Amino acid sequence: MNIMNLISALPGAVAQGLVWGIMAIGVYITFRILDIADLTVDGTLCTGGAVCIMLMQSGQNVWVSMALALIAGMLAGMATGLLHTFMGIPAILAGILTQLGLYSVNLKIMGKANQAINVDKFDLLVSLRFIKGVPFYKNTILLVTLMIVFLIVFLYWFFGTELGCSLRATGCNDKMARAQGINTDFNRVLGLMISNGLVALAGALLSQYQGFADINMGRGAIVIGLAAVIIGEAIFGKVFRNFGFRLLGVAFGSIIYYFVLQIVIWLGIDTDLLKLLSAVVVAVFLAIPTWKSRYFSKPAHKEGV
Amino acid sequence: MLEIRNISKTFNPGTVNEKRALKNVSLTLEDGDFVTVIGGNGAGKSTMLNAIAGVWPVDAGHILIDGEDVTRLPEYKRAAFLGRVFQDPMNGTAATMGIEENLALALRRGQSRTLRAGIKNQEREVYKRLLATLGLGLEERLTSKVGLLSGGQRQALTLLMATLKKPKLLLLDEHTAALDPKTAAKVLETTEMIVNRDKLTTLMITHNMKDAIVHGNRLIMMMDGNIILDIRGEEKKNLTVEDLLHKFEEVSGEEFASDKAILG
Amino acid sequence: MKKMLAIAMAMTMGLGLVACGGGNDASSSSASEPATEDSAQTEEGDAAEGSESDAAQGEAPEETPSAGAEYTVGICQLVQHDALDAATQGFKDALTEELGEAVAFDEQNAQNDSNTCSTIINGFVSSGVDLILANATPALQAAQAGTNEIPILGTSVTEYGVALGIDDFNGTVGGNISGTSDLAPLEEQAAMLQELFPDAKNVGLVYCTAEANSQYQVDTVQTALEGLGYTCTQYGFSDSNDLSSVVTTAADNNDVLYVPTDNTAASNTPIIDNVCRAKKVPVIAGEENICAGCGVATLSISYYDLGVGTGKMAAKILTGEANISEMPIEYAPQFTKKYNATICEDLGITIPDDYVAIGE
Repeated sequence: MNIMNLISALPGAVAQGLVWGIMAIGVYITFRILDIADLTVDGTLCTGGAVCIMLMQSGQNVWVSMALALIAGMLAGMATGLLHTFMGIPAILAGILTQLGLYSVNLKIMGKANQAINVDKFDLLVSLRFIKGVPFYKNTILLVTLMIVFLIVFLYWFFGTELGCSLRATGCNDKMARAQGINTDFNRVLGLMISNGLVALAGALLSQYQGFADINMGRGAIVIGLAAVIIGEAIFGKVFRNFGFRLLGVAFGSIIYYFVLQIVIWLGIDTDLLKLLSAVVVAVFLAIPTWKSRYFSKPAHKEGV
Repeated sequence: MLEIRNISKTFNPGTVNEKRALKNVSLTLEDGDFVTVIGGNGAGKSTMLNAIAGVWPVDAGHILIDGEDVTRLPEYKRAAFLGRVFQDPMNGTAATMGIEENLALALRRGQSRTLRAGIKNQEREVYKRLLATLGLGLEERLTSKVGLLSGGQRQALTLLMATLKKPKLLLLDEHTAALDPKTAAKVLETTEMIVNRDKLTTLMITHNMKDAIVHGNRLIMMMDGNIILDIRGEEKKNLTVEDLLHKFEEVSGEEFASDKAILG
Repeated sequence: MKKMLAIAMAMTMGLGLVACGGGNDASSSSASEPATEDSAQTEEGDAAEGSESDAAQGEAPEETPSAGAEYTVGICQLVQHDALDAATQGFKDALTEELGEAVAFDEQNAQNDSNTCSTIINGFVSSGVDLILANATPALQAAQAGTNEIPILGTSVTEYGVALGIDDFNGTVGGNISGTSDLAPLEEQAAMLQELFPDAKNVGLVYCTAEANSQYQVDTVQTALEGLGYTCTQYGFSDSNDLSSVVTTAADNNDVLYVPTDNTAASNTPIIDNVCRAKKVPVIAGEENICAGCGVATLSISYYDLGVGTGKMAAKILTGEANISEMPIEYAPQFTKKYNATICEDLGITIPDDYVAIGE
């Protein structure tokens, strides 16, 4: 139990948090902007990883592989979108159905349940190894941070365009959106495509980071994504008003989640309790806004504390 | 301008909740008509408006706007030539977006939305001017989130959004019903001003008989999914509330039993 | 208050990035100094300075290394079930026997979440452990991605070439990786099935599609069985939720079932047993723990022995007696024909004398 050990473990936690931060931003788009609880992401995360790994194993360049992984994710999002709009299936169920189908698709992509990618043999962009002792331009933390910043700038621009504004309107009040001539069905599909594309990109990075793509790697991903969004809002909600900064807050939320996880492991607490502890942490963060308003807000007439 | 031919709509057909909301309704509106629609609860007024707007497809009949058959057109496509204000002030605007963003959305109604900027600087000047005409001080708060506004302010904003691009038809569904009397009067006044200025063809549902008489050049009364009274021109100008009640009894053989409508 | 919190977060992250820059494997030796002081003040039940290592008990929270521990070994186990637990136990027992108090263990369980493996490995690498035991394939893969310096010993991994993406695997991984394989002799297992059920026609092969090792075993066994004249069908399930229905279908359509060394099946043997015993369909299992739960017979390796073998390898590496990059993968020392007395009796199967009953 040595604090130096914890501190030197933090960079790894930050790196993991950043990669999942990209996924959390994808979840933010559907969850907060479009107001859809999208469960497809559990499958899409693996799809991104699977596509990236298989392409790299066949000799493709890492950027091309990641780009194609992103497109694969967009296709998955489109599937959910069509199930929801064209076939009228409620969004949650549509997500579950796609995720179910993706299990088989992912198995077929990988050929088996688990595909390794050897960091010594392939030119990986990110890896658990590239956190310390590498030149700065290979450093995983720097690279992923740059990606996130670029992503946030892009999304900030996008949601300021006519199309982006119409997406926001669709999520906020779809009755009003239709009355203003907005094709809400199309927008929902588009939003799901963008979100799942991002999640697949995160999956591609994650599989490189951990050195393998595994059929179960997405299991429970939606929980982590939502936890990151909520933690980010709870802590940074008041500080960050601007949309771009709120996305940054989401990325921070993801990093914090992985900090806590690393601390729990460092404390040597019985790992059987790991999931319970995660649930408690998320619950506490969820409760912060309520507690603040109930117990810590200062009524005007009382003498201040 | 607007022609409705024999439209019918039944909700929950074949179940215990079956409601025949519109029974073979026909109506023609000329350009520039300002029609007020009254009737008891469940008469079919909102249903008729929703049918025109295309919220759901009608079971039978045709709807023509400016000669074009729009019966099969989906709601968001019809929105290109319609302006709508809803009864619930929350429904007409996007609460998490700013006032200017809402107006920008309305300006682009009917156009395809591309990756151009969502709002341009020149637009802001126009919005400021228009908001000033409402007299609610909104022109100072262009970037405020709409969710912070009061019901009356949101409704006024919705009205502005509905008429920003001159619509072929303006549909007002009891748009003052949820407001307090003073704000309601203000919104009605603004409605009158805009409709007269732009010579908009308007359908306005109201529960208030007096308002129905005072505003507009034509009055329609609905009951039980049918139009039972259609009064225009001079006859309408000279109407009083008692007249209306008598006419109603004549036609339907019942008493028009709605406190809200009578007391206003 | 919010701003303070935000600033505090930023500073912590900054600190983390600073720790990034320096090479800090040196921290592991200085780590033991403050650790001993900590242990004197901890309020854990037993004194951590005592000679007994609580690690053997498994459930107690991780103990600080006792004064004078020279080696720290990080154990990353994928999931909790009997076979993996036995391997870990064997490993710890063997290592403790060889090196006594000089070794301390940091035992972590990833709760069947491959993503958590990376977090655990990250912890090990940052605290500069001297050796990592990766128990199961995802743990091994995460370890490989995490370090190419710290020696990694895998165990309960069936095929190293496949797990690590090595083409033309020749038995030695090289670099900083070696370990033991739980590869059971698949052809002999097929032969055992024929020995016990010579008149059967159809064999169902049940396995979890999410486990790469299982697919490999099932394919090999199928080839062997078909060579012996059986008709084989594969039945894959995705997780414990569809296990029951898949096994039911398999049992309805076949005379005998085969289950490889599959982690998910191993965690859910009661389900398989309930289905198969009721239908009077015998199950040949790939390893002893599955057999104990639902099988008739198995050609077993002992995961405990496998762990012991791994522990002996570890001792050699830690003391510098051997170089890990030259150590080939070791296999289980011996195979025993074992049978489950209760289930055999239930199904009325007579077992030849050279089988050993699984002691329960």
